[in-house]
Amino acid sequence: MAQASRNIRNFSIIAHIDHGKSTLADRLIEYTGTLSTRELKEQVLDSMDLERERGITIKLQAVRLRYKAKDGEIYELNLIDTPGHVDFSYEVSRSLAACEGALLVVDAAQGIEAQTLANVYLALENDLEIIPVINKIDLPSAEPERVKQEIEDVIGIDASEAILASAKSGLGVEEILEAIVKRIPPPKGDDEKPLKSLIFDSKFDSYKGAIPYIRIFDGKLGKGTNIKMMSSGKVFEIIEVGVFTPGMTIVEELRAGQVGYIAGSIKNVGDTRVGDTVTDADYPSSEPLPGYRKAVSMVFCGLYPVETSDYDRLKDALEKLQLNDASLMYENETSVALGFGFRCGFLGLLHMEIIQERIEREFGLSIITTAPSVVYKVNTINQEQVLIDNPALLPPEGKIESIEEPMVKATIMVPSEYVGTIMELNQEKRGSFLNMDYITASRVSLYYELPLSEIVYDYFDQLKSRTKGYASLDYELIGYKEANLVKLDIMLNGEIVDALSFIVHKDRAYQRGRKLVEKLRGLIPRQMFEIPVQAVIGSKVIARENIRAMRKDVLAKCYGGDITRKRKLLEKQKEGKKRMKQVGNVEIPQEAFMAVLKMDD
Amino acid sequence: MPSLYVHVPFCVKKCDYCAFYSLPLLNSCEGLADYLRGVAQEIELRSNEAPAGVSSLYLGGGTPTVLSWRQLDDLLKEIHLHFTFLSGQGKEGQSFPEKTTEANPGTITEEKLKVLRDYGVNRISLGAQSFNDRLLYQIGRIHRAQDILHAVKRIRKAGIENLNLDLIFGLPGQTLEDWQDTLRKAVGLSPEHLSVYALTLEEDTPLGKKYLARDLNSFKMSDRDEAGDLPDDDLQADMYEWAVDFLSNKGFRRYEISNFARSGYECQHNLAYWRCEEYIGLGPGAVSCMRRVRSKNIEDMEAYLKDAAAGKRPFDGAETEFLTPEQQMSEYMMLGLRTEQGIDPIDFYHKFQVSIQDIYGQIMANYIDRDVLSISGGRLKIHPNYSFVANSIIKDFIR
Ligand SMILES: Nc1nc2c(ncn2[C@@H]2O[C@H](COP(=O)(O)OP(=O)(O)OP(=O)(O)O)[C@@H](O)[C@H]2O)c(=O)[nH]1
Ligand code: SF4
Ligand SMILES: [Mg+2]
Repeated sequence: MAQASRNIRNFSIIAHIDHGKSTLADRLIEYTGTLSTRELKEQVLDSMDLERERGITIKLQAVRLRYKAKDGEIYELNLIDTPGHVDFSYEVSRSLAACEGALLVVDAAQGIEAQTLANVYLALENDLEIIPVINKIDLPSAEPERVKQEIEDVIGIDASEAILASAKSGLGVEEILEAIVKRIPPPKGDDEKPLKSLIFDSKFDSYKGAIPYIRIFDGKLGKGTNIKMMSSGKVFEIIEVGVFTPGMTIVEELRAGQVGYIAGSIKNVGDTRVGDTVTDADYPSSEPLPGYRKAVSMVFCGLYPVETSDYDRLKDALEKLQLNDASLMYENETSVALGFGFRCGFLGLLHMEIIQERIEREFGLSIITTAPSVVYKVNTINQEQVLIDNPALLPPEGKIESIEEPMVKATIMVPSEYVGTIMELNQEKRGSFLNMDYITASRVSLYYELPLSEIVYDYFDQLKSRTKGYASLDYELIGYKEANLVKLDIMLNGEIVDALSFIVHKDRAYQRGRKLVEKLRGLIPRQMFEIPVQAVIGSKVIARENIRAMRKDVLAKCYGGDITRKRKLLEKQKEGKKRMKQVGNVEIPQEAFMAVLKMDD
Repeated sequence: MPSLYVHVPFCVKKCDYCAFYSLPLLNSCEGLADYLRGVAQEIELRSNEAPAGVSSLYLGGGTPTVLSWRQLDDLLKEIHLHFTFLSGQGKEGQSFPEKTTEANPGTITEEKLKVLRDYGVNRISLGAQSFNDRLLYQIGRIHRAQDILHAVKRIRKAGIENLNLDLIFGLPGQTLEDWQDTLRKAVGLSPEHLSVYALTLEEDTPLGKKYLARDLNSFKMSDRDEAGDLPDDDLQADMYEWAVDFLSNKGFRRYEISNFARSGYECQHNLAYWRCEEYIGLGPGAVSCMRRVRSKNIEDMEAYLKDAAAGKRPFDGAETEFLTPEQQMSEYMMLGLRTEQGIDPIDFYHKFQVSIQDIYGQIMANYIDRDVLSISGGRLKIHPNYSFVANSIIKDFIR
């Protein structure tokens, strides 16, 4: 038997958002000389423009390091940096399944936060060796001893060997590398067994087709290997094998325990499924790896091209993005107002925003997103239950017996002086108190049952602003509960714009309707005709505003000398108009469709 | 047959809103002679571009009437030496071909008018702008209302039967009453033609800087307070609508969004632009459009003179445009829809060898349904109610 190399270590870096995972990855990359000082920049693994602009990690990112340990041996370390934001937790769980260990980074000044816990539980589920790293100890407000105590009390793991580090100064980096080598077990696989490898991520490359990122558990592969996707039975010949350094670097072969990518002119995006097992077609494994649980979409919205003719391009974009983001779900949908588009499911609003931006940037498409909605269970008078993720499809009032909405159990960690504030917020958001724990003398965990729709709305922003950023939140779906819900429609120029409809608690309907109508009046530019904007429930108008007709939009003069300039001016204005959607005779800017979300600005 | 434009890039002083290429003379008149030499060289150089002659002449600026009568004589002599003009009689006895000179009150003398007449100049376009001395002062015009009256008297005395007055509305601090007063006074002078423009703020002008500045604090608010606020869109629309009604009652037809004329006095030179016909532009910064190529002369006196002296066509390579069919159609619609006559589908077909229906059918149908556009007398027009929001409509015809 040829054991997988004893000198491989596979680990993820996990933490609450902003606790310094990517910065720590920089230090590990730097210390091991994987990138030169010139190539290295801050959070170098955050390679997407969006990640750099927002200063957060969105995508998991693998990188191979070569480390010469104190025992004199050279180790291959496969590191996966993960995102901290709750909306990207699917990236974390997929990373963990490709590893034997995890660095649990905890901010020395902030201590354990909601996603620290959530991610630790994920790592424990995967039976990973956890190495606690208390980061940012250079900060004056750092309290490493308190944080150690929290780790022991709250997570229940031994923190006596937690490493004190500063990803900023590089303090503790060597100790971390040694701990990785000593404490994380080497992979267990066998090179000689039939190939068994897990697709943990993938991306689309316009030359090479779909590129699966894999972790090999057993066996080996190289250029020329005929691989088989175990879920579909489809076979491809490998034309390129490589590893991440962090750029893609071609290697001869990948063996048990290793992490890398393969390319095999897989033109059909649907043929690589994240979580699938890749085996050798000529020497197949008898059974696949367990794979992944599907991501459960929390929010849904419609995505529509501004230009109806871009439908196919949008479809193509979603297909390719799904390769790179396995938590994105979509299916066809049509809207009276917007035409053909897609209903998409996301893990949260940030996720939705990121996908929207990636479609616009990476594929150059202008799109409209409709108001986000959760999935409601509607019990009809004929004793049927239908699932509704699009408010426009809610059956007429007379047919509805009752509506149930999804509920979550929310965990809020916050300094104890904010308990009152949190209770107030939860009351406003229709939450009911479940429990409260003291993490330490000055910090508590509060548990609430809340409607998911309230979390989706502006809960997180409110939580952050009311606690000066000190609160952190995690939530999980726990079931459905009946509530007094109604559909609120918006009429523009006398016609319902289905894409603006949303479902709301009856007690809030009037207030939300008023606000939305006011907001829309501000967002929709004056047009050639006066446009009434109305909020209606059933046939009852609950709010109304008028957008007055535009009166001036004209060029003063057009003479020979400046015809070009005038034409260009109009070309530019026309471009601007492209971001508007024509619904009936009304031009609606993209932001208007998102107004439902931003009513409290 | 192309029309001919000659740019005279000098003014006594720059007005606060003006973004045209023109140099302030202040007290020195040097440069005028250089310019005349340069433009003469260009005239000679480019006279072969119109072998069959030109259909109209427009001396514009700047202020052509800052030239002395001798200089005007020199310039017109060169022009007439090298270009032949279509001759004949226009309808309703209007003399033909149309030859226009722009002029500013305060720069017009009997001698200059005589020279102009001698070369057949039969139309004067006078930059009156307003009859309110306070507003004239605030936008940096050199003349006052009184000067307009004198200028008009002289122009008429010189036997010019086609007079245009330029008027601007939407000036800082201007009220509807101010504007009505200006229009009444303008019409009182019995011009044949009126050009009525909404003030456009251009970025690099003093007025633009003052009113477009995002950071209001960076400008002396006292400046602004003194001049008053810009009339908002609604007030400007009221001003425009009032002008349209008033002028129509006084016998002026709005034959283009900003242009009003007594029957038979429509500006032929401008109509040619709006029909996308060819034109030759001479002088620094002037634009020509011949055979689908639009080119612009160098907008810099020194460089212009250098090229002209070297016998080179003094145009700015970077500004040359080879108009694509899409751009041509866009311009054709942009200009045509601004005119009262509108657009003739047959002419469109002749010009582009494709039916207007095939290109714009859907947009047209949509607007016709809503009575925004109409087809009457076989021509496509913007309903007069929507003239002042014409851009919103025209935008859809830009390809
Ligand atoms: N003072 C100090 N700041 C640090 C340290 N490590 C990281 N930071 C800062 O903390 C912020 C967040 O760091 P990141 O590395 O992006 O955090 P992250 O955990 O990767 O964040 P997400 O991927 O978005 O969850 C950045 O501004 C870093 O410069 C440290 O050791 N000391
Ligand atoms: S007179 Fe005419 S060209 Fe000269 S600066 Fe004033 S507006 Fe401009
Ligand atoms: Mg990160």
